[in-house]
Amino acid sequence: MKALVFERSLPRFAAARVASALTAGGGARVGPLRLADVEPPALPGPGWHRLRPRLAGICGSDLATVDGQSSRWFEPVVSFPFVPGHEVVGDLDDGSRAVLEPVLACAARGIDPACAACARGDTGSCERIAFGCLQPGLQTGYCADTGGGWSGGLVAHESQLHPVPDGMSDQAAVMVEPAACAVHAVQNAGIADGDTVVVLGAGTLGLCAVAAVRHLARPGALIAGAKHPEQRRLARALGAGTVAAPSEVRRSVRRQTQSLAMDGQLTGGADVVIDCVGSESSLRESLAVVRPRGAVVLVGMPGPVNVDLTPLWQREVRLVGSYAYRHATFATAFELVAAAGLERLVSALYPLEEWRDAIDHAVHAGPRGAVKIAFDLRPRPGAASGRRAELGPRSGETAGTAPGGDGDPASGRRAGLGPRSGETAGTAPGGDGDPASGRRAGLGPRSGETA
Amino acid sequence: MRRRPLGFPFTAPTWPRQVPRPPAERRTGVDYDTAWARRYPARLARALILDGVTRPVVRALAAPEVEGLDRIESLAAPAIFAVNHNSHVDTPLVMTSLPDRFRHRTAVAAGADYFFDKRSKAAVWALSINAIPIERVRVSPQSTRLANALLRDGWSLIIFPEGGRSPDGWGQAHRAGAGYLSVRTGMPVVPVHLEGTRRISKKGAKGVRPSSTRVTFGHPLRPAEGEDARTVAARIERAIAVLADEQAHGWWAARRRAAGDATPALTGPVGPSWRRTWALGEGRRPTTTERRWPPA
Amino acid sequence: MSRPGFVLDVDRSTPPMLFWHGEKFRLERLPEGSRVVYPPEPVEALADPDAAIRHALLNPVGDSAPLPALLKAGMRLTICFDDVSLPLPPMRRPDVRQRVIEAVLDLAADAGVDDVVLIAALALHRRMTEAELRHALGDRVYDAFAPFGQLTQLDAEDPDAMLHLGTTDQGEDVEISKRAATSDLIVYVNINLVAMDGGHKSVATGLASYRSLKHHHNVATMLQSRSFMDQHRSELHSSNWRMGRHIAASGIKVFQIETTLNTDTFPEHFAFLQRREWEWGPKDRATFLAVSRSLDRTPARLARSIFHGIRSPHQMASVQAGEVEAVHALTTENLYRQQLVEVSGQTDVLTMGLPYISPYNVNSIMNPILVACLGLGYFFNLYRGKPLVREGGVLILRHPTPWAFHPVHHPSYIDFFEEVLAETTDPVKIEADFEERFATDPWYIHLYRTSYAYHGVHPFYMWYWCAHALSHLGGVIVVGGDVKAVRRMGFKPASTLQDALEMASDVVGRDPSITYLHAPPLLLADVR
Repeated sequence: MKALVFERSLPRFAAARVASALTAGGGARVGPLRLADVEPPALPGPGWHRLRPRLAGICGSDLATVDGQSSRWFEPVVSFPFVPGHEVVGDLDDGSRAVLEPVLACAARGIDPACAACARGDTGSCERIAFGCLQPGLQTGYCADTGGGWSGGLVAHESQLHPVPDGMSDQAAVMVEPAACAVHAVQNAGIADGDTVVVLGAGTLGLCAVAAVRHLARPGALIAGAKHPEQRRLARALGAGTVAAPSEVRRSVRRQTQSLAMDGQLTGGADVVIDCVGSESSLRESLAVVRPRGAVVLVGMPGPVNVDLTPLWQREVRLVGSYAYRHATFATAFELVAAAGLERLVSALYPLEEWRDAIDHAVHAGPRGAVKIAFDLRPRPGAASGRRAELGPRSGETAGTAPGGDGDPASGRRAGLGPRSGETAGTAPGGDGDPASGRRAGLGPRSGETA
Repeated sequence: MRRRPLGFPFTAPTWPRQVPRPPAERRTGVDYDTAWARRYPARLARALILDGVTRPVVRALAAPEVEGLDRIESLAAPAIFAVNHNSHVDTPLVMTSLPDRFRHRTAVAAGADYFFDKRSKAAVWALSINAIPIERVRVSPQSTRLANALLRDGWSLIIFPEGGRSPDGWGQAHRAGAGYLSVRTGMPVVPVHLEGTRRISKKGAKGVRPSSTRVTFGHPLRPAEGEDARTVAARIERAIAVLADEQAHGWWAARRRAAGDATPALTGPVGPSWRRTWALGEGRRPTTTERRWPPA
Repeated sequence: MSRPGFVLDVDRSTPPMLFWHGEKFRLERLPEGSRVVYPPEPVEALADPDAAIRHALLNPVGDSAPLPALLKAGMRLTICFDDVSLPLPPMRRPDVRQRVIEAVLDLAADAGVDDVVLIAALALHRRMTEAELRHALGDRVYDAFAPFGQLTQLDAEDPDAMLHLGTTDQGEDVEISKRAATSDLIVYVNINLVAMDGGHKSVATGLASYRSLKHHHNVATMLQSRSFMDQHRSELHSSNWRMGRHIAASGIKVFQIETTLNTDTFPEHFAFLQRREWEWGPKDRATFLAVSRSLDRTPARLARSIFHGIRSPHQMASVQAGEVEAVHALTTENLYRQQLVEVSGQTDVLTMGLPYISPYNVNSIMNPILVACLGLGYFFNLYRGKPLVREGGVLILRHPTPWAFHPVHHPSYIDFFEEVLAETTDPVKIEADFEERFATDPWYIHLYRTSYAYHGVHPFYMWYWCAHALSHLGGVIVVGGDVKAVRRMGFKPASTLQDALEMASDVVGRDPSITYLHAPPLLLADVR
């Protein structure tokens, strides 16, 4: 089985850091990621299924990992060697398609009773992510035992699987996981009706967040900060009332909120800022445009940053982290993807062999007018016979329908579907699949609040 | 490869056909203002050029013998010098031959159409020989006013009454300008005859050929009370002819002929051009310097 | 004797034409058969301006007593004057306003008037700096009034400083400065650079608030002002006239003083700017080469400060005083005598080179909106009768159009450009969707009142100014402009005039007639 494997190799890791300092994405050439032939991961236990990825997206956090730029915070919660890729839609053995919820929480780790967070359904906040029957790994894609999306196959616990509705394309399905992140962020943000909301960044997360704000909340004004023309166009199409270049955001917020200003510092500002970039400058900008007692929701992965927190202190701003999602978030995410047509964000598909080009494209997605880059792992009629063989006995069956992806003949035989059971298992403990309650939850002191 | 010539604004703009050229806008020709050339810096520069450059060059080129300076010994500046005209060398020759009291305060009446048609050319002549623009063919009020003002201001004036260089070696009929100025201002006119300059460079010649020359000053003429400008002009013309005769045949012979009103006119015989050229070639103008009389 | 303006037909012997290009100059060879409209040369200035002013004050026109008869001890006198937007460029000292106001104050002092206040009639323009006030009024006037708070600038957003005088017969609100409205006499000192200035517009616009201005500063009015340089065909003026008559009917007495300047616009070392190209002597050509070459290498900031340092030598050509309408009729006549050029027939393509200055960026940056306003608002409207360019024709502007804004003077312009124009360039839609929010934005109001910022609604007016041109034209091409800025405004960028003419031919057809408006100095095309 072909897979992109990320190994623990200090020299390569150092090389990736150096190379990426020169050019973003440089880590792909010299870093610890390589294409290899590996054994498919073994099923860790009961309730686990094999998932053969159809599409696997390249996420911003993956790129940071490839470039050796991700935070050392993750060191204890990953296990090497791992196969990256956590935005996955794939085929199950029974032929049905499922979207992976990558978080490896108590249920997947066979921990019973589940931790308090899992018991509430906050799987993203699971307190046992390095324990149980699996090696450490906060998500599939960072765990040595499960495999990852950038490969021919991985294993997934039934609690991690969400069935894909028949009418949904693979492209739409692969957007469900990022959409879930955005939904979660919006639910964390606690947006009141009529609020002015700013979404900084218009990559995949930013655009999903724009769509999520538009569909899940009733903002008075929605301002999107977008740098590149295609991003601007999409942000507008997805519901941003105002699209501003990064340098224009502050003025745009000022005008929208009719705030006063002192030497460029706003006296008021937006009620909620959703920072989907996670850089030092975006965090500064977030703190500059949020109103006193407003909220900054950090969706983009920040890493170590140097930011003056005086405004946060003086203006009593809530800085809210937003990682992953609750199990129930996915239901909303499926709806959002369908309602907002988020499949249009998938800009290009690459076969695994062209992974370097794929990563390069993903790193430069903005300037190149792209949003989401994904690996296309569906068996192709013209593909090399060796590869088809790797896919096992089912390859012949799926090959005919692969390009469309949504007319799966296998869907007729849906007896005893794994994902179904997973779904019920997931919703049962929490029992609150309603997005509003999630939003309410976001107002509470739990979700990464710091001020 | 040929470089494209630089156009406007490096060169002067062309004039749209639709727009009539305003006639009064000219600032060349007689309208050229030469006042700057008579201010101190220009005078200093000219004195340096005249004594440092022109004089040695004229000496080397023309080897002038100056005669008759004694006749103007007692003449005070300013005065009008009326000179016959054969060559471009004439002006520097006369200027360098003038006594000191005249030399650095003398202007030259130069043809406005020839010397002042371009501002650059005008500037060169105004500076180097203190040329002032004079209309050749008619008495223009502008030129006259300027010449008058200069004379009254103490500037002497060199005038070529023939109005231009001789085309064939014979003199041309005089114009009344010098006489007119003399009558108007009461200033004396000094007839000056140049001999030999045609050999150095004549009209239409290319380049110069060194040769010896002779400059003869005559007695100053003063206009009589109520005398007409034309008669003064005629006197000047005659006086120059006498000086020429004096050059060719000696003072006494010339005096006698002058007394008998038989001085040969400088304008030469009337007739077809070959006859005039023939007559000239018969030796009225000596080609050697041997026949000098009176000996120096 | 100054020569009148004229229309030159370009032929092979026509030299390349000088085009303004912001703080730069370009020479462009126009296609054969193009027309060039040249402004008249500056008319004779008044030999003794001070005597002329005094004469005008003592011999008013129209139904008005001489000024001394109007001045009485114990009265409230308010003297209003045009702000920094006039004249262009700022004139050499002494400014006309200084001369006139000193003459008025002399008479007021003679009459024993104690309560005198001077008001800079800003409307919604930015406030003037001390240096600008000193330049306009002279140090004597400034030092005598400013320290005691008697030299003020209109604050149209101060509810206590404005007085609502009711509405005109067409329901237009009339709200002007309370001090002026409650005075026994308003003396308004105008500089009438173009025919649009002056008349009832002085008081009804210069001293008015947003509430009042919006009745004539709007798209509908602009579309019916053809052009606003021609009072009788201008709805802008009709509205102002209604307001002016309403003000007069409210018992407010206005003594109007209007002055015109000749078009001697640029100082001697820039003489080539107002000389016809074929008359450029060696000195003109040398200065042109030296100036244009060095400007091309000068950083924009420095070039700007050099140009805004220019003090124009224009001189007073006429002065008239008395009753508003009679005065303005005379003024218009005098202006037409200086600026009118007869042009026969419209053109398919109109080209113009825009200079570094417009009324709203004195000592400031000419931002893209002001470029559009100068080209499509002002220069396009420099006509009487028919527009110079035919309906559906193309306007080609030359200006670098940098994406640059003066952060102090034009804060609302930045937002207008970034936000409003990104959304739409249609004046009607802009007016409906955005104007109110900008006009009432407390931050802009704060800056307008306390800093040196144009009012939040001002960029909208700039865009409305373009409305007539935008609806009339088939396209606008900007040569040599910042591509993104030009596109933002809905115009087409071109790198050379040749390219622009090619692009224009897509709209107006092959072999279009081309006219070049050779301004400044200013002219007013009388299109027959």
